[in-house]
Amino acid sequence: MERIIHGMSPGEALAILRRADGYYVTNTARDLSQSDYKNRILLNTDLLAAKHREQAGYFSLEITGGASIHVDILRKQVDPFLKLELLREKMPKTMFQTLCRGINLFGYRPYPQNVIRLVVREFAKYVDVWRVFDFLNHVSNMIAVFEEVQRAGKILEPSLCFSTGPEHTDEYYLKKVGEILDVTGSDVVLCFKNHGGLGTPKRIGNLVDAVLQQYPDLIIHYHGHNTDSNDIGRITAAVRAGAKIIDASDHALSGFYGPPPVLTAVHTLNEYGYKAVGIDEEAVIATSEALRGQRKYYEYFESQFKGFDPTVQIHKLPGGAAGSSFEQATKGGFLEQVPAILHRELPKVQRELGNFWSVTPGSQILWTTAISHVQSGERYANPSGDLKNLLLGKYGPFPFYQPPDWIYEKVFGDQWREILREEGGMDQIADMDIEQEYRTLADKLGYEPTQQQLVSYLQHPNDTVAFFKFEEKFGKVYVLPPGVFFRRGGFKLGEIINFRDHYGKEHVVEIGPMQRDETGKTHVYLNVDHHERRYEFEPEEESGVQACGVKAVKLNKQEINKLAKIGDIRAPFGANVCEVEIKIGDQVKVDDRLLILEAMKMQTPINSQVAGKVESIAVKVGSAVKPGDELVKIIVT
Amino acid sequence: MKKKILVANRGEIALRVIRAIQELGYSAVAVYESPDNEGLHIRTADEAVWLGDGPRCDYLDIEKVIKAAQKTGAEAIHPGYGFLAENPDFAKACEDNGIIFIGPPASVVRSLGDKVMARKIMAEAGIPMVPGTPSLAPGEAGMNVAVEFCQKHGYPVMLKATAGGGGRGIRQIDNEQQLQTEIPIARAEARAAFNNDAVFIEKLVLNPKHIEVQIMADQAGTTIHLGSRDCSIQRRNQKLIEIAPSLIPDQELVDQICRTAVKAAKAAGYVNAGTVEFLVDDDHNFYFMEINTRIQVEHTVTEMVTGIDIVRTQIKLALGKKLAFAQDDVQIRGYAIEVRINAEDPQNNFMPEGGKKIAVYRSPGGHGVRLDGFAYQGFTIPEAYDSLLVKLTVHGFSWNETVDRLRRCLNNFVIIGPKTTIPFYLRVIDNQEFRRGDFNTAFLTIHDYLLEYEDVTSECDKLARLIAEIHYRKQNSYAI
Repeated sequence: MERIIHGMSPGEALAILRRADGYYVTNTARDLSQSDYKNRILLNTDLLAAKHREQAGYFSLEITGGASIHVDILRKQVDPFLKLELLREKMPKTMFQTLCRGINLFGYRPYPQNVIRLVVREFAKYVDVWRVFDFLNHVSNMIAVFEEVQRAGKILEPSLCFSTGPEHTDEYYLKKVGEILDVTGSDVVLCFKNHGGLGTPKRIGNLVDAVLQQYPDLIIHYHGHNTDSNDIGRITAAVRAGAKIIDASDHALSGFYGPPPVLTAVHTLNEYGYKAVGIDEEAVIATSEALRGQRKYYEYFESQFKGFDPTVQIHKLPGGAAGSSFEQATKGGFLEQVPAILHRELPKVQRELGNFWSVTPGSQILWTTAISHVQSGERYANPSGDLKNLLLGKYGPFPFYQPPDWIYEKVFGDQWREILREEGGMDQIADMDIEQEYRTLADKLGYEPTQQQLVSYLQHPNDTVAFFKFEEKFGKVYVLPPGVFFRRGGFKLGEIINFRDHYGKEHVVEIGPMQRDETGKTHVYLNVDHHERRYEFEPEEESGVQACGVKAVKLNKQEINKLAKIGDIRAPFGANVCEVEIKIGDQVKVDDRLLILEAMKMQTPINSQVAGKVESIAVKVGSAVKPGDELVKIIVT
Repeated sequence: MKKKILVANRGEIALRVIRAIQELGYSAVAVYESPDNEGLHIRTADEAVWLGDGPRCDYLDIEKVIKAAQKTGAEAIHPGYGFLAENPDFAKACEDNGIIFIGPPASVVRSLGDKVMARKIMAEAGIPMVPGTPSLAPGEAGMNVAVEFCQKHGYPVMLKATAGGGGRGIRQIDNEQQLQTEIPIARAEARAAFNNDAVFIEKLVLNPKHIEVQIMADQAGTTIHLGSRDCSIQRRNQKLIEIAPSLIPDQELVDQICRTAVKAAKAAGYVNAGTVEFLVDDDHNFYFMEINTRIQVEHTVTEMVTGIDIVRTQIKLALGKKLAFAQDDVQIRGYAIEVRINAEDPQNNFMPEGGKKIAVYRSPGGHGVRLDGFAYQGFTIPEAYDSLLVKLTVHGFSWNETVDRLRRCLNNFVIIGPKTTIPFYLRVIDNQEFRRGDFNTAFLTIHDYLLEYEDVTSECDKLARLIAEIHYRKQNSYAI
């Protein structure tokens, strides 16, 4: 029984896997956090579990990658590199695993080659196992990452996204396995990435068997989600067919959309005569005992829909996208429409658009397209920029078939064939001037950034700057437990909060009274390390329109469009402004890009419908807008 | 009955004097105006008399102070610095009412307080002064005198209106051509402004060091000095950092300055403690400025390096005692630096932070550290008075050790509530020229970038701020 540990070369680790009598387990803490808690499980909580997880003897701890890196800096206010450093201190042996979206890295659209290579090199200093996928299973989209992982001497785990339907045959997947191995060589772990938890145990067993018939030495890692409550069945079938590594999670936190509990898989397979190599069951239990008390602090982030969902086999929404999709539906006020979207419109869109794999960024394109259809009542009438890019083949070729002509016509108009011919196909993305980006970041931060800060910035420029400014102001906040960090409704008077700061100093904060003075300012009194401190808060700004005494007017789509034709550009939907490409006084032509809006991680450019001079810009990067909100005013010339 | 002495002052100096009185075994009587009713000097004194609602007017009211002394039976009054300290009428009122004024006789306060009179006394005694012409004769004759003077002493010079004052009617002249054109203009201006067209020329001492000498004199006429101080680090003539002894390497020059100070004090018939101020230029010329007839804010540095309690000595001299030590007994040991920790925002033009409450007050301690303050945790700084919170004085064997100690103390000082000058001092003492002792009165003008620093917030304060925000907003808006 040999444990695979951090520091082993891929050769050593693979040799142990090949001769192992049994299978290994990956603890997918990151995927569980993403699927069932909107990625909010804090480093503070992972640090509580670290000692026990280290003892548990996993093949790896999947703890970074996917959407988590963005959420780390955006919502958890923790540096994704610092997180890995701190966990490594407490977990010297366990391999760390990431999930990388190939050319889309940890984001939602393709990055230039030089950025991909820099990002992978920097993360490879901390990450031992690299699971890499592409939502179109387009192998060339993954090559840059493959190369950098192998160059860094880390374990490469190329993945094939798995789905169901008439096109998803053993032959198809076997052909893809061949394509991958041609690029990577055979010293890799191959992952079947079943992000929706699709198919039956029998289907998974057959697939693994078919691959191993052809590639008997191949190490297969099965990754699944328990959305329909049957992933233990699929895991069992995969291992019985010869898979060597499985994915599972800590039972104290396991929910409905993430991977199933470790112990259930281990006990089930034990009965079939398959041993989990290196797994210390007591440590697995101890991990959950350490985590159990924490779960209540994350309740707010659990899915709006509780319970298992066997209809996932129809709508195929991946576990990792469930939480954020339902959150969007709640914020957008259309939660009650979700079952209908899931059951009817989403599967329909999925089939129409080529039955590719519903996983980032494809899952977001399918989802936003489906909700736009249901909300506007008109199909493909308001295509997102990302849907257009998908149809133009910017992400890669459709794996099985191209969507029907009428969709192209609806999206691009009568000239769609010409547009497709001229603009279709993948673009060569020009390398970024990284030195220039470094200077820009240094200017924004006011000091020379580290390589790690630069890497974060290249992926999420605005959010990275905002995060490091946050850290300057509030310190390293991962030390605050979830009961403090996520507290809703305020603290109790006299409540005592103890924590140890990043540098190891113990502190105690006692909540004092909160008072509002005659100017409307609120004063919060805290007793900080036995000294009274007062914090001042300006009166909350009333919402913009009301403050001006102007009644908010709700505009419909036609009205918004009519205004755009006279140079009064309004937000067509609720979104965040992610780029502003004009300045006041600029001359613009028809079809010039004014700004880019982002909703559900999908970007939509807003182009000018008039020629003229920019008179005013009502938003800036990061502004949240509601439908009908003013964006830009142009004086038509 | 115990001797009683009234302290006609407030703030740290009131406490300083009360301590000396109590150490002598006497009773201290404090006085106060209403805004000071939380003042530590009231609590420390043996008795306290309320003068009135103030602010500032009652501390300056000679009659009320004298009455307070009479009412409490105080036989002497120590005026501290500021307020009535250099008011000859007050010294006179004390004398007239049979109360001992702890300071020089009223006549000396009066003559040294009058700049023209003081210059005259010093000139007669042969004390070096900044060279200057008498009022220039009108027309060609006056112009010739001016040109000749400038050729002898060199440019730049200052062209001053004889009747001017307070900085008015002064212009800098850099060359002869300018002199020729400016004199008629200055005369015309002076005539318009002061109804007197007399002007004169004085040499401009460029970027001098401010060196002063502590003097002690008893009523029997024995006058000695307690060495020199360097008070060159100033902002708009306000001293910020004071050092004893002077860092001038030429010891003979320093001795000469000290001897000259004694001579000046004797010429004025000085009694009790006083300070003779000089300007020293790069060429080691030194010029008399004025004599301060009171205890100085910065007396602490001299006490640290000599071991002599100046305030105690002041009281004893005023009570008619002879100096208990001779010039040869005064030995300077090591260095001392005093910084005035003010409740001011250095980054906002040293705007006073009066009215703010001191939420946290933690002062440093240890070897060679002296604090003269009156602030405490929970104290609200009155807006009516100056912004001095505490004087931090450190003493060390060598200059380097002293600066190191000062930095340590400033770093250990925690004052939360008002902004203070502490971060600014930390910037100053890390300056290489300061560390080398190479500075003059232009230091802060040249190094104005020392005001550019960021507020340092501790990690715990940062985190507590987020907790406050989560509490206030009822959720963590950075996490939702």
